[in-house]
Order: sequence, then structure tokens, then C-alpha cells
Amino acid sequence: MATSTEPDSYLTSTSIALDSGSIARFAAQFDPQPYHLDREAAANSIFGGLCASGWHIAALATRLTVETLLKHGIAYVTMTSVGELKWTRPSFVDEQIGVRLTLGERAGDSPIPDTDRLDLLVDVHNGEGDIVATMTASAAVTRDPTAEEVAP
Amino acid sequence: MTSLYIRDRWFEDIPVGEFHVFGSHTFSELEIVEFALVFDPRPESTDPEIARNNRWRGLVASPWLVTSMWMRKMVDYMEVYAQGVNDGRRNGAGVAIRDLKWLEQVRPGHTLTYTYEIIAKPDRVIRDKWGLICSRNEAFNQYGNKVMQFEIDILAERAAQA
Repeated sequence: MATSTEPDSYLTSTSIALDSGSIARFAAQFDPQPYHLDREAAANSIFGGLCASGWHIAALATRLTVETLLKHGIAYVTMTSVGELKWTRPSFVDEQIGVRLTLGERAGDSPIPDTDRLDLLVDVHNGEGDIVATMTASAAVTRDPTAEEVAP
Repeated sequence: MTSLYIRDRWFEDIPVGEFHVFGSHTFSELEIVEFALVFDPRPESTDPEIARNNRWRGLVASPWLVTSMWMRKMVDYMEVYAQGVNDGRRNGAGVAIRDLKWLEQVRPGHTLTYTYEIIAKPDRVIRDKWGLICSRNEAFNQYGNKVMQFEIDILAERAAQA
């Protein structure tokens, strides 16, 4: 399968503010541990302060990735796998979470019928120059000639 | 001394080969839609009417909802046994995951059962205090099909300190 996305081209997302309400909502539903819910307990924890669940960061990174791909005409269908996801530092209240996408190989062996596999390197940053997580992922994207053009 | 409390255990207390079936969850249409509206906005997960005529012939969960629910089930399971730990937890903070695959779609009404097995304890000391525990995690649907798998490294405090 021919690839039309150039390796090593970057796409940059908008950012989403990590307000205390969204940290608490995600944590209450999916990760109710003291360091995501209680300021005092968080201050004495391994993280040193109230911070978002790592899974909240992964989900936000996915949202930003999907928006960025669609904005650049890449017809995202679903994420199918993650080779590695590393959390490199905690994400604290009011950080501005954004992603930088490096488009990797595009090939015809996606597990979802009638889609291509598109490899992605997702660097998640906090708006202050820190990388908070990195993720290598594969997405299924629609095999549609008009969707294969990527803006420079 | 081995503690019965899972989150009270030191690195040295956690045995390779330990296996747990730690939780089940039945996904509702509402939680699938609500999650996707915030984190994975695509009609296959946000709009039951559009989804009916789309690729999967019905609403499907965002893969990250399936994985986020893994965390919830794990916390519910472990926090039951966290009494007596006053200094935060001795283990549990995730560092990295590997080889995460979503193998089948999860639909409203599907029930997933989550399992983990401790598979390795790499010989590393992190910040003078922590060891790494590696586990294999899997989720199975009500038909017995595996729908998700990944490995995760978590920190566990080492007992032997100067």
C-alpha cells in the first residue's frame, strides 16, 4: 500500500485546560485515588500535589489526536493499539494539555476492514515546555483517496 | 512479613505468577456516549442513530473507555485492601504501559471481566526507593472473547532501605 503521508512531518493540536473540575470528574468515575481527589492527601503522596489520572491524560491526548487528524483531512476511525505509553511527569491543575503528532508509516494491514493502519508518535505536553507523556499508537483511518492528502 | 493488604505490600512481598480476576462491568449506552463526547467524539460512539448504519452496525465504546474502566475496577479491588496504609500507598503508581491492543468492539450491554497476572519484577531501583512490578492485564467479554490486553509497570516501594 502506497503511503502518502510523509514520515517525520509534525502536526500540532490546540490545547485543553486541565481544570480542577475535569480532573475530579474523571478521577471520581475512573480513578478514585487520593492523589487525584484530595489536595491534602495529594501533597503528601508520591506525586507531591493534586494531579490528573494518567488515564485522563491518555484520553485527552486521544481527543486532541483525533481532532488534529480530522483537521488535516485524515479520516480517523478508531485507535487500535498502543505500542508504548509512558507517563514522564504528573499533570497538575490548570496545565494546558496539547499534543504534537509525528505521522509514521501508513500501510494496508489495519485490523479494521477497509481501513489503513496509520502509526503515530504522540508527544503530550503541558504548555510549559514539559513533556508529560509519550505514546506510540496505531490508528485505523479510512481508505479514501480524498482523505489521504495531508496539509503541509 | 507478608501483608494481606494488597496496597500495603512491599516490592519484595509481591510474587511473580500472582493472578487475580479483579472486577466486571456492564457498559451502558449512556456511559459510552458520555465518555466519547468528551474524549473520542465520533458518531460510532456518540450517536446511536448514525451508528446503526455505520461500520459496526451499532454503537461501540471508545477503546479508552474500556481501558479507563480497567483502572476503576483495579482501584475498587485494591482500595478495599488499603486500610492501614497511612503514608499513601506503597505500590500502584503507573509508569508505563506496553503492547496495548483493543481486539473486539464493546457494545452497550456487554459485560467485561478484568484480570491481571504479575509477570516480572525487573531488577531496578528507582529514586533509591522504588522497584518495578510488571503485570499482564486482560479483559474478556461475556462470550469469553478477549477484547483488550496490555502490560503495565507500576512502582512498588522496596523494603530494604538503608
